[in-house]
Amino acid sequence: MNFLAPLFLAGAAAVALPILFHLVRRTTRERMPFSSLLFLTQTPPRVTRRNRIEDLLLLALRCLALVLLAAGFARPFLRDSTLVDLSDKPPERVLHLVDVSASMRRAGLWEAARERVETRVREASPADEVSVWVFDVQARPLVTFAEWGATPAGSRAALVAGRLRETQPGWMGTHLDDALATGAEALAEGSTGSGAGAPARRGRQRVVVVTDLQEGARLERLPAFDWPKGMELAVETVKPRHAGNAGLQWVAEMSESASATQAVVRVRVVNSSDATQGRFEVGWRAPTGEGFLGRAEEVLVPPGQSRVVPLPVPAGAAVDRVMLRGDEESFDNEVHVVPPVFSAVDVLYLGSDAVTEDPQQALFFLRKALPVAGRLSVRLTAAPARAALDPARLAAAKLVVVTDSLPEATARALRAEVERGKTVVFAPGTAEAYGGLGTLLGVAEVPVREAGLRRYAMLASVDTRHPVLAVFADPRFGDFTKIHFWKHRRVDLSAVPGARVMASFDSGDVAWAEVAAGQGRVLILASGWEPAESQFGLSTKFVPFFCAVLEYAGGAVEGAKPWTVGDSLPLPEVGTGVRTVRLPSGERSEVAAGVTRFAATLAPGIYTVEAGGPALRHAVNVEGAESRTAPGALESLESLGAPVRVQEAESKPDPVAREQLAAVETESRQKLWRWLIAATLGVLLVESAIAAWSSRRMQYEREVVP
Amino acid sequence: MSVMGSQEAVAQGRAMDPKVLMALRNLEWRARVVVEGFWSGMHRSPYHGFSVEFTEYREYTPGDDLRYLDWRLLGRSDRHFIKRFEDETNLRCHLLVDRSRSMDFGSTGYTKAAYAATLAASMAYLLHGQGDATGLLTFDETVRDYLPARHRRTHLRRLLLALEAASGGRDTDLVAPLQRAAEIIRKRGVVVLISDLLAPVDRLERSLQVLAAMGHEVTLFQVLDPVELTLNLAQAGWLEDVETGRLLYVDPEQARARYRERFEEHTAHVRRMCERLGILLHRLSTDQPLEVALAAFLRDRSRMPRAVRRARGGRAAGVA
Repeated sequence: MNFLAPLFLAGAAAVALPILFHLVRRTTRERMPFSSLLFLTQTPPRVTRRNRIEDLLLLALRCLALVLLAAGFARPFLRDSTLVDLSDKPPERVLHLVDVSASMRRAGLWEAARERVETRVREASPADEVSVWVFDVQARPLVTFAEWGATPAGSRAALVAGRLRETQPGWMGTHLDDALATGAEALAEGSTGSGAGAPARRGRQRVVVVTDLQEGARLERLPAFDWPKGMELAVETVKPRHAGNAGLQWVAEMSESASATQAVVRVRVVNSSDATQGRFEVGWRAPTGEGFLGRAEEVLVPPGQSRVVPLPVPAGAAVDRVMLRGDEESFDNEVHVVPPVFSAVDVLYLGSDAVTEDPQQALFFLRKALPVAGRLSVRLTAAPARAALDPARLAAAKLVVVTDSLPEATARALRAEVERGKTVVFAPGTAEAYGGLGTLLGVAEVPVREAGLRRYAMLASVDTRHPVLAVFADPRFGDFTKIHFWKHRRVDLSAVPGARVMASFDSGDVAWAEVAAGQGRVLILASGWEPAESQFGLSTKFVPFFCAVLEYAGGAVEGAKPWTVGDSLPLPEVGTGVRTVRLPSGERSEVAAGVTRFAATLAPGIYTVEAGGPALRHAVNVEGAESRTAPGALESLESLGAPVRVQEAESKPDPVAREQLAAVETESRQKLWRWLIAATLGVLLVESAIAAWSSRRMQYEREVVP
Repeated sequence: MSVMGSQEAVAQGRAMDPKVLMALRNLEWRARVVVEGFWSGMHRSPYHGFSVEFTEYREYTPGDDLRYLDWRLLGRSDRHFIKRFEDETNLRCHLLVDRSRSMDFGSTGYTKAAYAATLAASMAYLLHGQGDATGLLTFDETVRDYLPARHRRTHLRRLLLALEAASGGRDTDLVAPLQRAAEIIRKRGVVVLISDLLAPVDRLERSLQVLAAMGHEVTLFQVLDPVELTLNLAQAGWLEDVETGRLLYVDPEQARARYRERFEEHTAHVRRMCERLGILLHRLSTDQPLEVALAAFLRDRSRMPRAVRRARGGRAAGVA
């Protein structure tokens, strides 16, 4: 029998108290009234034999209760040789999860983490099963259990060390919750199997996380994870050389708030709560060289706070990086931005109302709908459709809107432009005006006739999967029932190859359709938007529709959305062409047709997507949470349900501490103190019963024999 | 001192077990039960006065009231004699009851005070039934209640009520109350003192002497608890003096012999004092039937004149 807290045994000395009380009780404190002490003299105390026997039993019980209580508090345990003898401990199954997130790029962290893992692996006994994984936004095995088992015991440490040397921390965030879940599942998998060399005794199963346990590590999904039974989690934290870290984040600019006259990029300076300094400089980094381009802004950010700094984009300079100076840890001191670009888009309108602009006609509404300011300004030029077309204007236009019948020559010219990649919106107001459609679509004839409507038609089905209509995919914006179409044409596209119906009327007729031709496309609207035709031009759907059309036609400027490392970048659909992504390193990566996203954003920088048209630039940066490098509390892991067993000491525990640890574990498993406390209660109950019975008997005797 | 054959009396059914008696809550009922067996008892008044019952003749001396001259005897024998009568109805009895805190002790299930009150009530009831006037004086260290001797039905009730009142005293000081009683009770009569007499006797003697000298016939009932007589305590322990609060550790086994010795010494002292003063002393243990005490009281009453005369050196009782 051993004791975890033997000092409590000193409490057993309290046994002296009942003995003392029993001794004191011999000279009873009980007072008996007596009429007069006139004839009495004091007599020395004397003990009656009967009292001593009765009290001895009570005394013994009281002493026993005290001794049991003291023993319970001393937390006894029976020394279990299998637990204490470390050389004979059952084989463990340990999965190491090594943090390779961006925050591990801080000075000295990765080396410390690697050393920890290597030390642990060296100390593992040959019977142990060890696996080493790395994690950032997801966990990946570095050395699997199978590889460990297949490697001779002597070379295992070298295998792990070699793999670790090949690994470097990346630029991604820390999704500790996902990593723990993946690691725990990998540990649980196959642990029940009894393969060759499976241990007869089932040892501990542990996930050892080697991490900087930064504040910004994601733990949100941890509470939902159901930890396998019997699994333990040990967390080894590595400490950076310098406390504190400041980081830069690019604050996304809302397109509505953009100004055409002044380009400003806003960056947020975040200072971690354990920082020791708060004075920084922020500015554009010179395209060549290390310094700032122009003057840097001085920012004061107290620890744990953040400041947003607006930086005007210098005119005439191709800048894409903002730099922070004054912070020791450099991994997040640079942020890549794509400054807003202001461009003008030419739209050519061919219609009968081009000369005399009528508020009831289509051009009037189109002019109102297309943006003239902001990041994208549209230059709309109108020309009569029936007149001869200026080839220069046609070539300049990205989008051509046709609302009148086209002469054959114009139709052929348009067809040629469409095949080269232009977009044409074809929406004449009468069936007769559809004359040039056949030429435009490259077919002999498209049968078109006027639909005789009694009252009005409505859009019955809208294909929100179409890029133009995708903006209405949200149910909040997808209600087209408020738009009544007074007139429309029945356009028969059954004979047109590559035709795709975007929307149809409640009568089943085609309302909007797309016909791909070459690299471009023709969008056919079977009804106009002017009031004589429909309520479309006056509806809330009109402006988003034409903006989407403009974007579809390739007139949209590149997205100014900030991306983080690991995000998938959207790729434009360009017919069947192959798109190329230029990586920050300068390499080019070709993306096959049909792939809509580019996922290999492994490092921060500017990713340029080249897909025929103008290149789209995407700024990819380190996740903002990585800058919050203040050490997170281990308790928060515990409070989220992780079975954190013991926080591992940073250095190798000495044998005494190890034995103490084993004793603690043995005691916590045996829990002998519970039995001792229960026994104490039992003894006290018996004592109370005997004392009550005894006092009743004495009282009875006193009454009967005065 | 009277010898009380209490056990025999109870056994023969003539007396009631005090435990049964004291179980009755009402003092008047208790008194009535006790007195029932003694209703016919007779006693003499110390007064000689107008009465049908002739006592004796005395030779006429000049100055005697000629109304009491026996003219017939003079006619028959030519001798001058004075006729003397006994007054049977004009007995004045004062009950002096000790209500000090020492009387609150009791090991028999009731206190000495309750026993003493029952005894006093029984006597009052008995005397009232015979048409005698009964007075009451309760005292502790001072006089608490005083009811002059009267013979009325309402008076008996008041007397019983006064006896039922709780004792609130502290010490037993017999001297001051007895002196006060001597001042209050001017007319000669019977004075019955009921007390445990657990107080030094020296000064008591002087007070009793005054009472006796005033011509009162004094009877003293010393009421004691059986434990006080024997010190039969169940176990050793701290005894607390109910009057003074003094604590004393007493082992009855060891202290009994010495206690009895000192107690008897005290009793003997009291007895000698009573003999000197011509006072009749009765020691009553609270486990004795009260009838025994009443019988002794009545027995004394019948003998009293002679006894008193003896004690007072043959002095004749005064003529009314």
